[in-house]
Amino acid sequence: MLEGINKIGDLEWEVPIGYVANMRVPGRFFLSRALAETLEEGAVRQLANVATLPGIVKHSLAMPDIHWGYGFPIGGVAAFDMTEGVISPGGVGFDINCGVRLITTPLSEADLAGRKRDLIERLFAAVPTGVGAKSTLRVSNRELSEVMVNGARWAVERGFGTGADLARCEEEGAMPGADPDAVSAKARQRGAPQLGTLGAGNHFLEIQVVKEIVDPEAARVFGIVEGQVCFMVHCGSRGLGHQVATDHLRILESALGKYRIQLPDRQLACAPVDSPEGRAYYGGMASAANYAWANRQVIMHEARKVFAEMYGIDYDEMRLVYDVAHNVAKFERHDVDGAQAEVCVHRKGATRAFGPGAPGIPHAYAAVGQPVLIPGSMGTSSYLLHGTTTAMQKTWGSTCHGAGRVLSRSKAKKEVRGKELRLQLAEEGILVRASHDSVLAEEAPEVYKPSHEVVRVVHEAGLSGIVARLNPLGVIKG
Amino acid sequence: MSFEELDHTADVLMRVRGATITELFADAGRAMFHVMYGPCEDRGVERRFSLEAEDLESLLIDYLSELLFITDVENIVFCTFDLDIQGTRLSATARGEPFDPARHSAGALIKGISYFGLEIVKEEEAYAVDIIFDI
Repeated sequence: MLEGINKIGDLEWEVPIGYVANMRVPGRFFLSRALAETLEEGAVRQLANVATLPGIVKHSLAMPDIHWGYGFPIGGVAAFDMTEGVISPGGVGFDINCGVRLITTPLSEADLAGRKRDLIERLFAAVPTGVGAKSTLRVSNRELSEVMVNGARWAVERGFGTGADLARCEEEGAMPGADPDAVSAKARQRGAPQLGTLGAGNHFLEIQVVKEIVDPEAARVFGIVEGQVCFMVHCGSRGLGHQVATDHLRILESALGKYRIQLPDRQLACAPVDSPEGRAYYGGMASAANYAWANRQVIMHEARKVFAEMYGIDYDEMRLVYDVAHNVAKFERHDVDGAQAEVCVHRKGATRAFGPGAPGIPHAYAAVGQPVLIPGSMGTSSYLLHGTTTAMQKTWGSTCHGAGRVLSRSKAKKEVRGKELRLQLAEEGILVRASHDSVLAEEAPEVYKPSHEVVRVVHEAGLSGIVARLNPLGVIKG
Repeated sequence: MSFEELDHTADVLMRVRGATITELFADAGRAMFHVMYGPCEDRGVERRFSLEAEDLESLLIDYLSELLFITDVENIVFCTFDLDIQGTRLSATARGEPFDPARHSAGALIKGISYFGLEIVKEEEAYAVDIIFDI
């Protein structure tokens, strides 16, 4: 482990006040000894930088997929007092409400045999993917405002999905407080033609099979069985969210003097939660988050249609298990020193993991906690977990969001050839379709920490409980 | 003068150098489009814009963000950047070609330009800056 960091539990570490100047609270993160080998000093410094922000409550936290980002580390979680505290785009990231949803089908792996290539090609044709891909959907400026306020509900009302889907989304697919007036004309111009598109980078639509059930009771509650074919959608708010982040970062950066906020990193630009600039960022961010829920709803709809047409199954037999956001800031009620209080929780590359009985999770899941979806990297397992009471107590109800990278993209491109990887995965029965082979090299399995180790840590630390492991069968990527 | 990609686990970190501030900004533009699309040719597509910011670092971010906006909305891949920078004011003429999926799909979509570690420094004979592109 790096110098200056204290071990305070089997999997828990503390970054003491003083690690960087002006820390107001200590930092805490969760990591196994094996994962500690890959911990970057820059990531710990970023965790410590977050601890300098005004009004931070208890700790600056990071999940075991912690790695070096900008502003907050990736895997970073922090809550801020609603009066003394701040809100920061650096705690959310450029891809507002990047998130994941998991959908079950009534099919087994055997049902796919022989037609998997065809399925992948049809999905690739149905969901616009990659740089420059535009949607076939046309939305007017007024409709775009409705998307930003109503999120996935807008999509369902337009015929993309059913009412039952909404109950199975975090925030029911539309968080409150969206203010389309805080979204610039530029953001609208970018977002209008991209609704229903997957994007590029690590975003994907993956066909999976439930390989192992670890917690039969929770699996029963979530409606998932071994051997079942599922699909997972991982994407965010596209150019609209990127522009909202860019615009408000500049506004907040310019307002730092006004609020006399001193920062160790300009990317942590922020303003008091209840200030004109803070409220405007929240309203714009919530608008982008809702756009992202609509986006994933539309993509799910297109994929459902492909499955229904190819395999003669009913649209309604493909059930949304859950949809989670992993880049977002929200106002939530939590226990603060023995009393319930509202705080502004930032999760940047971290997933909400509310435990049993927590407010805001679907009634049907109340007994086991919310579903948590951890996508694997290409070719490795993804996991379904459930939220826990321990997460509510230790991490503002948060857990990891993915595997976390260990190899830079430039090294990955030198060490991995996209075409070879595609052929190697095909030999393992995993079919990959991407707009270009080089995209594959950057997202190769070996550039990520092993997802099973990251998930093992959150399970053993009690931040969430493993319910099921899903293996990839085919993937489309941008 | 040049740009080179340095190691960064999550994003793309580019070190850009230019003999003057104007060259530095032009190279930063080239670096960004290299990350996104790979090779590009000037085929006569041209866009102009002007910006003003409170300091050079913010001006660099605003300039790259503007290019990002144009490429996302208009599907233009830029390769040359004629710039006039006076203090913290910039006028830009960017030239390039329409996005061609067959030739421009090998890159990475950039979501934003980070302030983290972004500082324009004067070296002996050049200006340099490290830029993290979120991808």
